[in-house]
Amino acid sequence: MSFREKSAWITFVLLIGFGAYFGELAREWLTPGEPHINHLRLFLALIIAIVVLEVVTHVVLALRSPQDAKAPLDERERLIALRATRPAFYVLLVGAFLSIGTMHLGASTLMLAHCVLLAIWIAELTRFGTQIYQYRRGQ
Amino acid sequence: MSTGAIHNNIRRLRFEHEEMTQQVLAERVGVTRQTVNAIELGKYSPSLEVAFRIAVVFARPLEEVFQYRRA
Repeated sequence: MSFREKSAWITFVLLIGFGAYFGELAREWLTPGEPHINHLRLFLALIIAIVVLEVVTHVVLALRSPQDAKAPLDERERLIALRATRPAFYVLLVGAFLSIGTMHLGASTLMLAHCVLLAIWIAELTRFGTQIYQYRRGQ
Repeated sequence: MSTGAIHNNIRRLRFEHEEMTQQVLAERVGVTRQTVNAIELGKYSPSLEVAFRIAVVFARPLEEVFQYRRA
């Protein structure tokens, strides 16, 4: 498995971890009588944890294969990155329009922000998921 | 438009060049080992530039390394 594929796997798994934030939001919204609290602390904790884990895992990965880490993207890796961006863009586009739609359903500004964040999250999962799929297929 | 596929003799040429590894070929061409493997298996068609670089490593004409065969 190449350095880039390992990197994509790490980011993909860490992104899945961020799903805990949306899980907590969904639990709150779906539980009747649950007070709507500000989740800024959970959000920041998850973001910091993801950034730290990204840095640590990539440093370990780079130390294990320094040559691969230093090497620039080759043409196939660039193509994979570009191919993965395309479906992610459409996911983000649909997510953005659906987020705007929530305004017409009486959603609050906070809810709208969470919908946009959800769209970004799914788009990023799509991007890295597509990269992994293409690396696995060997194309 | 006629359809076809690009075939290559990289595996044979590596064997003829003292069993050159994919890693060595990748380093000399300037791509990753995984990319050489994908090209060799016919899963990825390289750019003209990379195709020429591979041919230069083996010191063979391009058409001896890559062939286009109609389906």
